[in-house]
Amino acid sequence: MSKKLLRHTSFWYTATSVTALIILSPLFYVILTRLYNEDIDESLIQRKNEFIGSTLPSISIADIETWNKFNFNAQIINDSSIKNDTIFNSSYMDTVDAELEPYRELCTPIKIEGKNYTYTSRINLVEKEDLLKSIALLFAAFLILLLVGMFIINRKLSSKIWKPFHEILSQIEKFQIDSKTLPELKETNIEEFNRLNKSFENLISRNRNIYRLQKEFTENAAHELQTPLAVFRAKIDLLIQSPNLNKDQYDMLESITENITRLSRLNSNLLLLSKIDNSGHHYPKKTVNLNSLISGKIDFFQEQAKQKGISINIDVTNNVEIYGNPDLLEILINNLVINAIQHNIEGGKVSILLANNSLIIKNTGKPGPLSNEKLFIRFSKSDPSGKGTGLGLAIVKKIADLSNWKIHYSFSDELHVFSLQL
Amino acid sequence: MKILIVEDEKELADSIKTYLEGNGFVCEIASNVNTAIDKIVSFEYDCVVLDLMLPDGNGFEVIQVIKKIEKNEGIIIISAKESLESKIDGLQLGADDYITKPFHLSELLVRIQALIRRKNFSGNNTVNFNEIEVEILSKIVKVNGEKVELTKKEFDLLLFLMGNENKVLSKSAIAEHLSGDMAYMLDNHDFVYAHIKNLKNKLKEAGCNDYIKTVYGLGYRWQNE
Repeated sequence: MSKKLLRHTSFWYTATSVTALIILSPLFYVILTRLYNEDIDESLIQRKNEFIGSTLPSISIADIETWNKFNFNAQIINDSSIKNDTIFNSSYMDTVDAELEPYRELCTPIKIEGKNYTYTSRINLVEKEDLLKSIALLFAAFLILLLVGMFIINRKLSSKIWKPFHEILSQIEKFQIDSKTLPELKETNIEEFNRLNKSFENLISRNRNIYRLQKEFTENAAHELQTPLAVFRAKIDLLIQSPNLNKDQYDMLESITENITRLSRLNSNLLLLSKIDNSGHHYPKKTVNLNSLISGKIDFFQEQAKQKGISINIDVTNNVEIYGNPDLLEILINNLVINAIQHNIEGGKVSILLANNSLIIKNTGKPGPLSNEKLFIRFSKSDPSGKGTGLGLAIVKKIADLSNWKIHYSFSDELHVFSLQL
Repeated sequence: MKILIVEDEKELADSIKTYLEGNGFVCEIASNVNTAIDKIVSFEYDCVVLDLMLPDGNGFEVIQVIKKIEKNEGIIIISAKESLESKIDGLQLGADDYITKPFHLSELLVRIQALIRRKNFSGNNTVNFNEIEVEILSKIVKVNGEKVELTKKEFDLLLFLMGNENKVLSKSAIAEHLSGDMAYMLDNHDFVYAHIKNLKNKLKEAGCNDYIKTVYGLGYRWQNE
């Protein structure tokens, strides 16, 4: 299953951020606590040093009670069990709020008038709790804000940064190797996309080149075949003049003549097809009157139809003029009508309907519709053993495409219908 | 009648020569541009049959020489390049006709005949064969002085057959002559039979001898009885 690239990055970004938040927050708390404690301890030791340095020498045993009375957070206790400086956490009942409050406390052994006492000093940690809570909260808020902000920026930035990429993508999707226009790729300020553009352009030009060579190959091959075909034909033309041929030899010659004609026909059609392919767009266009074009051809069509007893019915409503190449248009119409005559039945019908913007040719023929997708493909013949070249409708399609006309096949009322939308 | 065949494909040039010589022409062959120009400068021809792609240059050069020295040769281009441009170029430069390979020798023969007729006669010209008289420009056919109504196709067919006297013409050669550029679309040439039949009947009704012989299934031949 594929997801959008942005969803991918967003997912990983969010996942990493949340994990970081979960792991980092307690760690942050622990480090902050330790730092704070170190600070407190330092000030406890500082306070002790001040006491030992300045207060202790002037204090006497009699003063202890008074001193204790006025120093709430420092006391001199009659206790000789402490041998070294000790710092620990403790809690004391707060006299005002009547609740236990956390303290950090330092005990240190002192001597007053030669007697052992213990000096204790403590600092309320309530402030620390509050401070840490505030800091943690602030930190969390800040982090969340940062993450959300980053997330939004990331999304926005991503779609902006990836815009050229999407453009390239849509160009690739639209690209057709036989189209006249090259895809236009905009220069971007991102190196990778410029590389992509360049690679894509190179790929296209290479492929177009290969495609062009391929097309030219067909045209060149067909050209090269013309001369040997001409020799072949000329020799046959001479051979049939031989005076002493018998019936069998004539039959053989007839078959050879027929096939050389078929070969020539195939070759000229192939040549025509590849020529339209290669340079069809160079053919000059002008306004062509379809009515006179068709009426100029009708004798030829009638002549061909007569052989099979086919009647041609022409229904022309208006004077129809279209813009296109007259030679190609003539080839197209010839092919369509001759096709309708050749794939017809004995005594069948062909009707040519010319209306505004459409030319419809209907004919009787084999029952059942033809395969629409295979119909216009070169060498896909409805009757594989037939004598057609299998190129007629491919030529029709090629010319229609070149001129932006739509050719469509349908089967209705037992008639094969080819309609050309002009 | 003298013809110069400028064609580098020897087999094809020889075949053209053989075919044309059977119908009263004298032919010479040049296989490249230089030989062709030498011959044209030195001798007189009625018609030059010219291939465009030659080993030492383009057939257009030969046309230019003919025009430059103001020779009166008719020029028929025979080319494998069927492109519209080279056809137009050739005709603009002064070629009289253009025929694309592969062609039938019979087609080339009647094109040469037509060209020479055009060159030699300024007014209406006629072709005669025994009792038949064909006026080319007005397209009138007379048998023993009596006009015979022929369709355009029948008229073309008659001229084609008469031009290729004593030659066997295959159905495909006739079909291509009659339908011109459109022949390559046709997958059967049976319509030739109908035209032959009609022409035969019309000539027979006009009291003409039957000169059109059927050669098995292969084709037809115009032959003096």
